Amino acid sequence: MLKRIPRYSFYREKLSVSFSHNIKYFYGVLFLLVFFIPFFISNLYVIHTITLVMLYIILALGLNIIPGFTGLLDLGYVGFYAIGAYTAATLTYHLGEVVGPLSIFTNFWIIMPLAALNGAFWGILLGVPTLRLTGDYFAIVTFGFASLVELIIINEMWLTRGPMGIVMEHKPTLNLAFLYPITHHFYSEPLKFAFKGDIPFFYIIFFVVIITVIVMNRLENSRLGRAWFAIREDEIAAECSGINIMKYKVIAFAISASFGGIAGSIFAFWFKFASPESFKFWESILILCMVVLGGMGSIPGVILGTTVLVSLTEVIRVFLEPWPILVQSRFLVFGAILIIMMRFKPAGLIPLSRVKREMSSRDKSIIGAMDGSFYDITSGEKKLNSDR
Amino acid sequence: MVFDQLISNFKLGIDYALEQLINGINIGGIYALIAVGYTMVYGIIELINFAHGEIYMLGAYLAFTFYVMLKLPFPVAVLLSIFSCMLLGIFLEFIAYRPLRNAPRLAALITAIGASLFLQNLALIIWGGIPKSFPELTLPDYFQSPIITIYGSASISLLQYNIFFITVFLMLGLHLLITRTKIGTAMRACAQDKTTASLMGINVNRVITFTFAVGSSLGAVAGILAGLYYNIIKHTIGYVAGVKAFAAAVLGGIGNVPGAMLGGFVLGIAETFGAGYISSPYRDGIAYAVMILVIVFRPSGILGRKQSVKV
Amino acid sequence: MTAEKEILSIKSLTKLYGGVVAVNNVSFDVKEGEILSLIGPNGAGKTTIFNCITGLSRPTNGEILFNDNGKKAEISGKKKTLKPDAITSIGIARTFQNIRLFNNLTILNNVKIGRHPRSKKNFAGAILRTRSQKNEEKDILKSAVRYIVFVGLEGSIMEIASNLAYGDQRRLEIARALATEPKLFLLDEPAAGMNPKETGELMELIRRIRDMGITVLVIEHDMKVVMEISDRIVVLEYGKKIADGPPEEVKNDPAVVKAYLGTD
Repeated sequence: MLKRIPRYSFYREKLSVSFSHNIKYFYGVLFLLVFFIPFFISNLYVIHTITLVMLYIILALGLNIIPGFTGLLDLGYVGFYAIGAYTAATLTYHLGEVVGPLSIFTNFWIIMPLAALNGAFWGILLGVPTLRLTGDYFAIVTFGFASLVELIIINEMWLTRGPMGIVMEHKPTLNLAFLYPITHHFYSEPLKFAFKGDIPFFYIIFFVVIITVIVMNRLENSRLGRAWFAIREDEIAAECSGINIMKYKVIAFAISASFGGIAGSIFAFWFKFASPESFKFWESILILCMVVLGGMGSIPGVILGTTVLVSLTEVIRVFLEPWPILVQSRFLVFGAILIIMMRFKPAGLIPLSRVKREMSSRDKSIIGAMDGSFYDITSGEKKLNSDR
Repeated sequence: MVFDQLISNFKLGIDYALEQLINGINIGGIYALIAVGYTMVYGIIELINFAHGEIYMLGAYLAFTFYVMLKLPFPVAVLLSIFSCMLLGIFLEFIAYRPLRNAPRLAALITAIGASLFLQNLALIIWGGIPKSFPELTLPDYFQSPIITIYGSASISLLQYNIFFITVFLMLGLHLLITRTKIGTAMRACAQDKTTASLMGINVNRVITFTFAVGSSLGAVAGILAGLYYNIIKHTIGYVAGVKAFAAAVLGGIGNVPGAMLGGFVLGIAETFGAGYISSPYRDGIAYAVMILVIVFRPSGILGRKQSVKV
Repeated sequence: MTAEKEILSIKSLTKLYGGVVAVNNVSFDVKEGEILSLIGPNGAGKTTIFNCITGLSRPTNGEILFNDNGKKAEISGKKKTLKPDAITSIGIARTFQNIRLFNNLTILNNVKIGRHPRSKKNFAGAILRTRSQKNEEKDILKSAVRYIVFVGLEGSIMEIASNLAYGDQRRLEIARALATEPKLFLLDEPAAGMNPKETGELMELIRRIRDMGITVLVIEHDMKVVMEISDRIVVLEYGKKIADGPPEEVKNDPAVVKAYLGTD
């Protein structure tokens, strides 16, 4: 038996244990808190800010896959965000008030997955020729991609109306009329909600965040996630362990891009206006900042980092309103944060290693049940695959 | 539609082509000065110094401040600006990059991005959002714009003439520095293998500091020249020029100094011809496209060598 | 003499790096079930041969053929060169001269990753947590644990790989490679940096691996280890094969003695 002296002090180890064990409770409490916010807070600006935070959480978690799981740097993430938003904007703009079968493409619930697919499509198209490059070159190419997307949006007026932007007049509706047979017991009218104001978006984005977090968690703890971590840690060892590097990098990139697309389409409907101004290159950096601050690869870290940074942005904006120049330069703070974080705490506020310290209780019970059917080391008998 | 434009531009004749060429060489020279800074730093510490573009921008701003706001004589303003940028480059290396010498590349890259962000917005706070420009009439004679006609309607201004010679002169100087001097040899040695170089008695840290000093000084000169040429100084010029210069460095082969010089000129000419003949709005896009295509199809660039990884 | 099957055939393997001939027309076979040691001075081309076998280097010339009980595969040759992940899937695993672990992951996760080629892909299942995916994960966990126990690391199963002692790191690397269920196992200087006790344990481990039915190919400098565990030894010098035979024969071969062992 090998005993190791714990590297962290007694209290820190206790803290990590309770952190991982209790993270489910932490999420539960957070869920309830956020769910009931609109009931208790009536200040629309606060609701708007919280919605914004949640939108950025979706974006940040989507970006997180690339540096956090595969160890690459994607500077062009805003490109997919823009593609998602403009998928929504151009479809609703060009199809306008059309009736008939095509009108389905102006439906928010159809556009959202379409935007995801479009994002994934461009992600694969960009990824296949470029993911075989080393980290630096890949980062540069992604940067070029985002810049080109921005240029195209500005210049191809026939598609995107360029700098004038597209006003989204369509309001999403939630049409539950098909549930009428059940609901007519409670409600005499068929259920049809039109999204008016911020609050419906608050809940839509909230639920998308929840789904995103669940998906990310599941990916992390799956064969796919492990393959990504292997690639991040040591590509050559990963390849020699049977992992097809290109395939998994492209998958990661496509998934990341599709989340960008989803977030973009939601943004377009929520903000009601799509213009190149919202998709400048620095947005990519901003989102990267959120991931880096929170801890690359760590899901709770990214959530925390995003919350801190976006709230900070809004707080600074409010406090510095008297001095317009300074409001614009809040990016100065972000620049400083990036430098300081990389120097002193490159693993972020909630580092990935902290999160992964403990074995899940399910795994523990499986291993416990294996006792006794272990391989007998001393006898040298070939029993390794006996109970398969 | 594109072709109509192309054909009508061709009809403009040799005059037009010559104009584009002159512009291209000028712009290319400026890009080349910035590009060598990128390539030297990458060659030595394998870092893409995102903040280099901001040095260029600050070179222009500082020259403006010293000359217009502090009313110092023009040569003094220029020298002070170059000197300040040199110090800034050294400072940046010492504070932000040196501590991360052994950290994963991702961390250093992010730090460089942070530095770029920081400096750009610092400039915005200090000088404001309204673009600055050098008042033309008070500039020394050799930077005024009397025009020399070359061929038909093609002309070259004194400014362009001077920019060309200054850039070529500086690049020749750099080439001699790297190939003929002791410190230049030390730089090349460190670019090949820092450990062995230090075992040979070379103070690697000093060489790196020197590299940043030279790169930043040249970047500052480029900024001042661009400030005179375009006569618009904004906090965002560093970003755009930086990207293009970086594309030029990649085109020539990142890490390769003559390559960066060549890449600068090629990109400048390609950009002006592209904008002049095909499409003006996508002018910047040419640099992006070049960058992506070179990286994907020929990462070693025009003059660079292929590198392999040892297991 | 019983006719033994060859599991690996290397024919006229040549590898040039620019002007340097790293491997010069080397041919030898690896017989199924044996422990073959590849020895020679530094720079003789041993690791290069490993890299060619595992797809990390592309030979300039020659053929490498893998024969797994009748299932033949051309790893490298006239038709094509397989990529490392494909080579691992058909049953060749390796460790590295400078240990390459997934440093920030736990022992358990390192070995789970080793199970990658022997487990089913299930992308949608991962997100939807289908029952088949959950069962697959359970299997991966159980087999990973078995390999960890096999090398003796069960006491620190959740320890982060970079925190382990050097000898344990080597064992972890072996466990991860074994988890890919290889038929042929390549070990590159496994005893480097080990004290005599650890070396003894390592030799025992290699024997146990062979007893599982896995053919072992070892690069080693520690002559004690080589002489004790090898069934056959191939000696390289400056990229050329200079000897090939059982330990007794090679030990006394004058060419080998001159190049490598030294007179003593």
